[in-house]
Amino acid sequence: MAAVVATRLFRASTPEAIEPDLAALWREIAETDAPIARAVMSNLVVFRSRAAAPQPSTAALAIDPPLEDVLALHPSRLIVLEHEQVERTADAPFTAGVGIAVFGPEHARYGVEQIVARSACAEAALPSIVRRFIRGDLPTTVWWTEDLSQVAPLGALVTMGRQLLYDSRQWSDVAGGVRAVGPLVGDRYADLADLNWRRLSPVRRALAHASQAGGLAVLSRDTTVQIAHRPGESALAWLLAGTLMAGQQGPAVPPPRVDDPAPGDAVLRMTIRRGSSEMTVTLTDQSVVVVEGSGTPLVVAVPVEHEADAVAAELRTLSQDADLGAAIGALDRHLNTK
Amino acid sequence: MTIVIFGGNGDLAHRKLLPALYNLHVDALLPPRTAIVGVGRKEMTDEAYREFAKDGVTKFSRRPIDEAAWAAFAAAIFFVNASIDGEQGLAPLGARLDIIEHEGQRSGDRVYYLAVPPTLFAPTVQQLARARFVTKEDQPIARIIVEKPIGRDLESARAINDAIAAVFDERQIYRIDHYLGKETVQNILVLRFANSIFEPLFNQKYVDHVQITVAEAEGVGTRAGYYEQAGALRDMVQNHMLQLLSLVAMEPPHALAADVIRDEKLEILQSLRPLAGAAVDANVVRAQYAAGFDVGKPAPGYREEPGVDPQSRIETFVALQIFIDNWRWAGVPFFLRTGKRLPKRAIEISVHLKEVPPILFNADPSARLDQNILTIRIQPDEGMSLGISSKIPGPQVRIYPVKLDFHYGSTFGGSTPEAYERLLLDVMHGDPTLFMRRDAVEAAWRWVMPILERWTAQTDPLPTYPAGNWGPAEADRLLESTGRRWRPL
Repeated sequence: MAAVVATRLFRASTPEAIEPDLAALWREIAETDAPIARAVMSNLVVFRSRAAAPQPSTAALAIDPPLEDVLALHPSRLIVLEHEQVERTADAPFTAGVGIAVFGPEHARYGVEQIVARSACAEAALPSIVRRFIRGDLPTTVWWTEDLSQVAPLGALVTMGRQLLYDSRQWSDVAGGVRAVGPLVGDRYADLADLNWRRLSPVRRALAHASQAGGLAVLSRDTTVQIAHRPGESALAWLLAGTLMAGQQGPAVPPPRVDDPAPGDAVLRMTIRRGSSEMTVTLTDQSVVVVEGSGTPLVVAVPVEHEADAVAAELRTLSQDADLGAAIGALDRHLNTK
Repeated sequence: MTIVIFGGNGDLAHRKLLPALYNLHVDALLPPRTAIVGVGRKEMTDEAYREFAKDGVTKFSRRPIDEAAWAAFAAAIFFVNASIDGEQGLAPLGARLDIIEHEGQRSGDRVYYLAVPPTLFAPTVQQLARARFVTKEDQPIARIIVEKPIGRDLESARAINDAIAAVFDERQIYRIDHYLGKETVQNILVLRFANSIFEPLFNQKYVDHVQITVAEAEGVGTRAGYYEQAGALRDMVQNHMLQLLSLVAMEPPHALAADVIRDEKLEILQSLRPLAGAAVDANVVRAQYAAGFDVGKPAPGYREEPGVDPQSRIETFVALQIFIDNWRWAGVPFFLRTGKRLPKRAIEISVHLKEVPPILFNADPSARLDQNILTIRIQPDEGMSLGISSKIPGPQVRIYPVKLDFHYGSTFGGSTPEAYERLLLDVMHGDPTLFMRRDAVEAAWRWVMPILERWTAQTDPLPTYPAGNWGPAEADRLLESTGRRWRPL
C-alpha cells in the first residue's frame, strides 16, 4: 500500500550545500503547509550501484519497496548513495539532491529528509560521504539493495551502521552471499537484518510447535532432510537448512539436501525422514502446513505483511538476531569450507 | 564609545568583527555615537575601509545587508594607517581619535581590540601606554580585548599577561574565546541551573562518562604557518575544550556575577588530575591526518599541505581521557577529542548516563538498551536532545531509542546572534563573565604543559588517520579499553 505523501519538495544540490539546502526546504515547507514535525528515528543509508545517470531526482526513491512507503512507517533521515559504475577518476563528479517528504493527516504532519548522492568516486571514498551526512546520534541502518553475492558490502561502510539490512532473496549465488555476510556474524556492534529470513519465522514457529508433540519434528542425527523450493527461493531454502544445521530446532542435523522444484504453490517444502516415517513442512504464501503420517495437519498462518512493513519492522529491531547469525555461521562452514 | 581594531584590515575583522558590529547596529544595541576605527599598516582611506567592511558584511553577516542601515553604520567607520614601530608609531592614531571623538561628541570611552598575532600583543600594549591612551580610572573607559592564543606555553602566556597587566588592570582585560559566546554554550549554565531535572544527575552517581568533541572538516588550509607552531592541543584543548569542560563540570555559582562564575570554572581546572610521564601515553592520543577523502574527493595528508614541513610532528588530532578529582566527578572519565579533516564540522558535548541494571527490559544481553544521553549541540544545528528508550507501538514489548529534541533554529526562529556579537556587546557593557581570566588561562596551560613536554621528548612515529575519518584507531582503543565507544556524530 503506497504511502500518501502530503507534500514533497526535492531539488538539486551540491555536497557542500546539502545541509543548508535542507534547512531552506524546511523553512519553505513551513510557510506553505500546516505545522510539520521533523520526524527522524534513524539514519537509513541505502546503497545502490548504478550506471552513470543524470542529476539525482526522486526517481532514486523508486526502488522496491518504494522508500517513501518505508519512511512513512519508520521516519528516517534517508541517504541514498548511488555509486556509479564508471571508470574511477580522482576528481569523480559528485551530484546530489535533497528533499523533504511530508506524511500524515493534516493535524499531525511529519516530514522526513531525503538526501540522494551520486558519485563515481573510489569505493574507499564512499564512507566519507556517509559520515558527513548521517546524524550520529541516531541508529544507522545500511540497506544494501544490491545482490550481496555479487556486490560485496564495503566493510568500512557497513560497520559504520548499527544494522545491515539486506534481502537474501536477491542472492544469485547463495555461497557467495553467505561468504559476504559471514564475517559480520558475531560483530558485537553489527546487527544483520535479512528480509528473507523474516519470511522463515512462521516455519520456525511451526517446527517449534510441532516438536512439542515429539515425532519427527524432534530432529536427530539419523534424520534425513530434503528441502525443495520454488525457483528463485534457494536462499530461503538454504537459510532453513542453516537453521537445522545450527541445531536451533533441536540437535544439529547432517546437511539437508536442497533442491528445486517444490510442488504446486509451495514456496518451500521440507521433507523429514527417519526410517519409514516421514513429515512434510510446506510453506506457501498463506500458511505453513506440517503433516506427519496420518495425523491432523498443523497449520500456522503466514502474516500478511507488505514489504515496506517488513523493512520498517526490521529497522525498529536493533537487537542482534542470534538465530540468524547461527544459521549463517552453519551455512558458511558447510558451503564455503572445502 | 570608540572601538579601535588593531589589525582592522585583517581576516578576523573582515569575517567576524565588522559583521558582528553591523548586526549590533541593526539591532540598535551599539551605544549611541559608537565609532569604529580600523588600524593597520596598510594605507587605506576611510572610504576604502568602508568598502572593505561592506564586503565583509555582505559575505559573512548572518543577515543580508540593509542599505539604509548600512549608510548610518558606515558613516561611523574610519581607518587609520599607523604602526607600533618607533616611539611615535601611534601618534597618527591619537590625533585621529581625538578628532573623531571631538567631532562626533563622543565620550572618549575606548575599547582596543588586538586582532593581531600574539607576538604583537606586548608591543601594541606598550605603545598604547606610551601614547597615553590608557587610563586605569573608570572615566573615560579603556578596555582591551585579546584573541587567543594567549601564548604557546605557560611561560609565554605569563609573559603576555605580564605585559598587558603592566598597562591594564585585570578588570580592563577581556581575553576572548569565541566559543564562550555561542548561544548553546551560554545555555549550558541555563540548562544545568534553571531546570530541576538535570542538575541532580550531573555527578558520579548517575553519569557514566562525558564526551566533548570539537571536529573540523577542513584541513590546515592557509593556516600552516600558525598551526605548525601550535597543533591541536594548543589550538583547541588548552582553551576552547577546557572551557567547555569547566562549564559542564563546575559547581553551581552562588551568584551570576562574573568573578563568581569564573571562580567556579577555575576550581575545575585546578581539580584536573595531572597527566605526566607515562600517564600521558596511557590517556592521551595524538595523530596526524594522512591522505584520505573529503566527501568522496581525495584530500591530501597534513604533511602534503602547503607550508607544512614534510617531516612535521605537529598533531592534528588529540583525544584525551581526563578525570576531575573532586567529590562530584570522582571516577567519571571525560573524553575529549578534536581534530582536523574529520568527517564533519561539529561541536558537541554528550553526557552519558549510567545504564539501567541488566534486569527487566535490559535483561537480554543481545539487545542492551541504549544509555540515556544528554547531548548539547554547539554547532551546527544548535540545540540539545535527550535520548530515551520507548516502547514500539504493538502487541509486544519491544524497545527503541528515541530522542526528545530541541533545535534553537526551529524553536526560536530567526537567525541566532553570532558569538562575536554577544562578546563585543559584553565588553562594551563591562561584563567579563564570558571571558577568560588570567588565572584560568594559566591554570589551563599549567595542566597542558606536562603533555607537551612528554611529546617533545618522544621521537617515535606519530599515528595517522585517513582524512575523512574520526581519528586514529588508537583513539578508539582509548575508549574501548574502558568498555565505551566514541559517540558517532
